[in-house]
Amino acid sequence: MAKVYQDLRSFLSTLEENGQLVRIKEEVNPEPDIAAAGRAAANIESGPAVLFEKVKGYPYSVVTNVHGSWANHALMLGMDKTATTKEQFHEINRRWDRFPVKPEILKREEAPCKENTIDKAEDINLFELLPLYRINDQDGGFFLSKASIITADPNEPDNFDKLNVGTYRIQVKGKNRVGIQALAFHDIAIQLEAAERKNEKVPICITVGNSPLVTYMASTPVMYTQNEYEFVGALQDGVPTQIVQSDLYKNLYVPAGSEVVLEGYIEPRVREVEGPFGEFPGSYSGSRRQCVITITHVTHRTNPIFENLYLGIPWTEIDYLMALNTSVPLYQQIKRDFPEVQAVNAMYTHGIGCIISTKVRFGGFGKEVAFRLLSTPHGGSYSKIIIIVDEFVDPFNLPQVMWALTTRVRPDKDVVVIPNCPGMPLDPSSYPAGMHSKLIIDATTPKDPEPNPREVELLEPPVGYEKYEALIRKLMSEM
Amino acid sequence: MKCPRCDGNKIEVIATSPVGNVWEVYECMDCFYSWRSTETPHIHDKFKLKKEQIDTLQVIPPIPPLDK
Repeated sequence: MAKVYQDLRSFLSTLEENGQLVRIKEEVNPEPDIAAAGRAAANIESGPAVLFEKVKGYPYSVVTNVHGSWANHALMLGMDKTATTKEQFHEINRRWDRFPVKPEILKREEAPCKENTIDKAEDINLFELLPLYRINDQDGGFFLSKASIITADPNEPDNFDKLNVGTYRIQVKGKNRVGIQALAFHDIAIQLEAAERKNEKVPICITVGNSPLVTYMASTPVMYTQNEYEFVGALQDGVPTQIVQSDLYKNLYVPAGSEVVLEGYIEPRVREVEGPFGEFPGSYSGSRRQCVITITHVTHRTNPIFENLYLGIPWTEIDYLMALNTSVPLYQQIKRDFPEVQAVNAMYTHGIGCIISTKVRFGGFGKEVAFRLLSTPHGGSYSKIIIIVDEFVDPFNLPQVMWALTTRVRPDKDVVVIPNCPGMPLDPSSYPAGMHSKLIIDATTPKDPEPNPREVELLEPPVGYEKYEALIRKLMSEM
Repeated sequence: MKCPRCDGNKIEVIATSPVGNVWEVYECMDCFYSWRSTETPHIHDKFKLKKEQIDTLQVIPPIPPLDK
């Protein structure tokens, strides 16, 4: 049974045991040191998490790059830290089918996130709880970039399936006041709209510092009626995740092991200047008027650890976090209609670039698979550059993908541009913002009834090569 | 003290360092830009805001009409 983490701290211990966490014991400045370390860790092969024990002016510690390498990502899944991207992709898919795994609801006295309580709004000071810092130089303030945020459907507040756990950026605007980016196509905006029509507050819990699979699922695009906690249990290979009721709202459940839980409400029909903020496409989104939250109640663990992520020119931690949690839902959706699909690599800029490997059932099949991607909810808006490769090409192996592009593409027939489609406004090349032209490159081998006048025989590996792979690895490890 | 972003003069101290007397955090109450006393804010021209611009910034998400 794979290792499972019910909180951040147990995962940090595992990272450290595996040489994937470094501690900086000397005192650092909040700016620019913590973000600089986040960038640096992403530049390093198999980058570790970086834990700062002492941040000038603050009492508690901060950790960054927790998800920021394939090694850390593998350990999150309880796999060996050397597991390849493709192995992790297939393992996540295998566990995905266990959904739903109902979470375990703990009693208040059992939940570590309830160790300490601040129940008066005037006693709440985010600057005392979290070592807040600026992530990118032109950001409009200090942001939480990795919080898991829980809200419910205002029309069906007790519908557990419609409980939403999502990641939305949070700008700290005061001791107990924050901004939130709730883009219109995200689940929280559905709930917000219903409440704002009635001028009602939206009860909300912002949780910081969670077990890695909770954060993972909070940033995964699943259906509105699917509960993210039930996916966490599935990805824990059947082990339920532990949650607990929030103090203020009986229908909102938070991860029991969270470092800090901020409970409050979105102020209805209020918008205030928010941002800029450096976003995942590697550039800043400018200032807009966005929602505001008042925090009225806090619970937290003793000596809470502030977990935050750096995002910069890809790849940084956010790319690792989004890589397979974008690829897996797309794979699941496309495979349902086309079982020939072998794997989906939607790791580039949250799926704006996508490579799909498929068997070719008949002439033109590659294009059909591309169209199916473009008709999924996520693929439709996000995916812009789509490459389809044969089933013997690993879409996670970019040199192999380049081989396919260089030997199996006839640009006169295999490359198409479809203008005036939905697009992703944060893509700086989307113009007008929110519109894309789609590029499809079909790098599959032609099949009947498409003629293949240059049919060739691929070079099969010599008999016994697996035996030699194992032997050579063994000899190298013994050297 | 003026806001480095919008030149506003409604600046509040929203936090002081919980440990030692080593920094304060200021916030502009017009445009909600915040900065620490240990930073030297240098806002690029494209991110500067004039007060008149604030009311024209995009609203996300749109505020729906009230139900009757």
